[in-house]
Amino acid sequence: MPMVLLKCDKDIPEREKHIYLKAPDEDTRDYLPLSNAATIPGTLSERGCAFCGAKLVIGGVLKDTIQMIHGPLGCAYDTWHTKRYPTDNGHFNMKYVWSTDMKESHIVFGGEKRLEKSMHEAFDAMPDVKRMIVYTTCPTALIGDDIKAVAKKVMDARPDVDVFTVECPGFSGVSQSKGHHVLNIGWINEKVGTLEPEITSPYTMNFIGDFNIQGDTQLLQTYWDRLGIQVIAHFTGNGTYDDLRKMHRAQLNVVNCARSSGYIANELKKQYGIPRLDIDSWGFNYMAEGIRKICAFFGIEEKGEALIAEEYALWKPKLDWYKERLKGTRMAIWTGGPRLWHWTKSVEDDLGVEVVAMSSKFGHEEDFEKVIARGREGTYYIDDGNELEFFEIIDLVKPDVIFTGPRVGELVKKQHIPYVNGHAYHNGPYMGFEGFVNLARDMYNAVNNPLLKLAAKDIRGANRIAYKEAAE
Amino acid sequence: MSCEITSKDRAGIINPMFDCQPAGAQYAGIGVKDSIPLVHGGQGCSMFVRLLFAQHFKENFDIASTSLHEESAVFGGNKRMEEGVQVLVNRYPELRVIPIITTCSTEVIGDDVEGTINVLNRWLKENHPDRKVHLVPVHTPSFKGSHVSGYDECVKAMVKTMSKTKAKPNGKLNVFPGWVNPGDVALLKSYLKDMGVDATVFMDTEDFDSPMLPDKTNHTHGRTTVEDFQGAPNAVGSIALARYEGASAAEYLRDEFEVPAIVSPTPYGIKNTDDMLEAISRLTGKEIPDSLVRERGIALDALQDLAHMFFADKKVALFGHPDLVIGLAQFCREVQLKPVLLLLGDDNNKYKKDPRILELKNSVEHDMEIVCNADLWDLERRIRDKEVELDLIMGHSKGRYIAIDNNIPMVRVGFPTFDRAGLYRKPTIGYKGAMELGEAIANALFAHMEYNKNKEWILNTW
Repeated sequence: MPMVLLKCDKDIPEREKHIYLKAPDEDTRDYLPLSNAATIPGTLSERGCAFCGAKLVIGGVLKDTIQMIHGPLGCAYDTWHTKRYPTDNGHFNMKYVWSTDMKESHIVFGGEKRLEKSMHEAFDAMPDVKRMIVYTTCPTALIGDDIKAVAKKVMDARPDVDVFTVECPGFSGVSQSKGHHVLNIGWINEKVGTLEPEITSPYTMNFIGDFNIQGDTQLLQTYWDRLGIQVIAHFTGNGTYDDLRKMHRAQLNVVNCARSSGYIANELKKQYGIPRLDIDSWGFNYMAEGIRKICAFFGIEEKGEALIAEEYALWKPKLDWYKERLKGTRMAIWTGGPRLWHWTKSVEDDLGVEVVAMSSKFGHEEDFEKVIARGREGTYYIDDGNELEFFEIIDLVKPDVIFTGPRVGELVKKQHIPYVNGHAYHNGPYMGFEGFVNLARDMYNAVNNPLLKLAAKDIRGANRIAYKEAAE
Repeated sequence: MSCEITSKDRAGIINPMFDCQPAGAQYAGIGVKDSIPLVHGGQGCSMFVRLLFAQHFKENFDIASTSLHEESAVFGGNKRMEEGVQVLVNRYPELRVIPIITTCSTEVIGDDVEGTINVLNRWLKENHPDRKVHLVPVHTPSFKGSHVSGYDECVKAMVKTMSKTKAKPNGKLNVFPGWVNPGDVALLKSYLKDMGVDATVFMDTEDFDSPMLPDKTNHTHGRTTVEDFQGAPNAVGSIALARYEGASAAEYLRDEFEVPAIVSPTPYGIKNTDDMLEAISRLTGKEIPDSLVRERGIALDALQDLAHMFFADKKVALFGHPDLVIGLAQFCREVQLKPVLLLLGDDNNKYKKDPRILELKNSVEHDMEIVCNADLWDLERRIRDKEVELDLIMGHSKGRYIAIDNNIPMVRVGFPTFDRAGLYRKPTIGYKGAMELGEAIANALFAHMEYNKNKEWILNTW
């Protein structure tokens, strides 16, 4: 039962290489989905663009940085009021977005002066803000504006500011993923090592690949504080620009999102010899395992055990209450990629939930290796899924709940399938011990919802006929 | 007392009021039945916009991308367009309309949309001889205009592509309401029905607010059909309610097929609604029925309780689509609110000559500023620097933090209004809309009085 050609894909049969149905006794190495390949036009793929991967996902998390998007206004508007990454300074990152408002004349004659002027205006408008990331978008990349040279000029004119630049037009790569890569590598090459931290603990680390969705980073920070571990930099949850310049001084890099941020962890190992420790900071038992590994690295095992015991005492009974009720629930996960492999086994172990279908927008082969290693037999593993495939998969696996984005959630609502926001959560945070209880609660309330039963009832009773549209 | 018309004095934007042209074109495209817009550009140009519609409507709308990647960005993307249309046509057997919407990338590289459509029309004839799929070229470079002009452009492009020939008169009225909510469309349709006018609404988005049904079928789609477009040249007339959103399509039908067209004041407030109904009456010969006299009276009755008691002399800032902002300013003056700051968020140089703006300019008896090409920083900065003191903000949800952080009550209007529930269902145009708006304003002020303990005890015997 290797790769699957869905009915809706008969005219795009190349999709077969992207969809795996795991069956017993298979050597999964023979069936690794093709991934991170070009998108087929016109499919209603879920994928976004490289600029999104750089600005919206990673850079825009920072709480003290102007996000100057060099392009027409749409790319700025589109990445504003869409994320849930709070901060401890009043959510500056979610309140503002900046655009150079490219016009036709700049397409014809170049946009560098427009960028320079916009950068000065932005610093003038908010004199307390001294840091900026400049991103290119499709048209400013096509016309070849040299944003790095402009940034240098602005830094020369304003010695109190620091500016980083990212070349991330939406057409580069095939998905958001390229934007992660470009930002990661640019940052370590240009900014890491340009500022020294004050070391306040014998134990120091960076937490890499966590973007503080609904306060995840801030929840995990309570653990690091209790353990006496200094986090030099969070990449990039609730983070600051300058903290990220100090990453070279950490003793350990703890990685959750290996997809978006493994690049910089690898380079920090290569360039500064800092070991990379991959953990899962979602999942109740996974979290305990991660804390044990971190504490073993620093030689503070007893502290770790004490924290784990406290957290288990606080949250495990609630978790088990949900497990009792969620056991056997059929779940689908249609998100970016990593949450597939972070969640499939953790919801199975901690909540008794069976993940029956998974789709990754932009995962690479290594993400599929991970998820197929951890995932169940009889489950569909889909790369770059599209909308018609989702409908067909629903018919095949009949999920009780789908973890996906809100738009798809609204779509499957018509089929009486509840959703939980797998990207930005319903009522998070979802990381850590407490967070997984939050996830369980939202899943339970999604599934055990009176409205779903009410929706199924046809009040016409036996006389039911197909719904007639108003004008017909 | 003066009314000053200014422009944003910065080059860059901080907190844009609108999205780009392709977003507006996508909004026009989803209002048509059996239509999937194909956005020719990078994937974010469609994914983000699908999310935006989900924010406002809490629904999914189908929009496809040509998924422009690096190779086609360098060597041309015509093949991506071709493949995108073919994949859509092959996989969606009911599909009848594909607006092919350009973006900044594909306008810069100069892809040949019309040439590709010719190639595709031959392909359709060979491969799907029993189907007619209308491929609509929509040129919407995002380095011009805004989602407002992109909407206008796409409506016009669809009319041009599908409203081809004039046949015998069908007695219908073409209605171009502009970028309004399903609740507005529903109200408009009820007015037309009450008047006995047979009308086609471009676009009829009433079913964007779609049910969750026992049979699990999905009805979230536009109701305007290919046949509606084909019938547009045979109409008795066209009425366009928004000068910047669909009026150019009505004007095209007038110039090409001699369909009489009226660009009516956008029907926010009582007087504008009167004017609209009179215009409809003029075009169709139908009389305004008693039911609307009654609805008008109920609205006036409700607003009369609020105006001089709570609204008089209150200072209001308005932002959003130009037809909305101008219309709301007129409505505000009817109920004694003082619109002191109007923000119009794109580079359209026609605003300064808009007769409604000139009328405001000539008649206001308080200080008013109209900022063209504005962004939402223009609002925030004026409040911060105490250049303007406000009692109320009316605008869309992306301006919410300005109101929250400055402790100013805000009523959500226009697009998008994702931070309040159910607003897409409520009319804002017409008599009923004026009443609902007035009441929303009053209730926002009342809640504000309570939270701020500002004479909250006054809300007893008004």
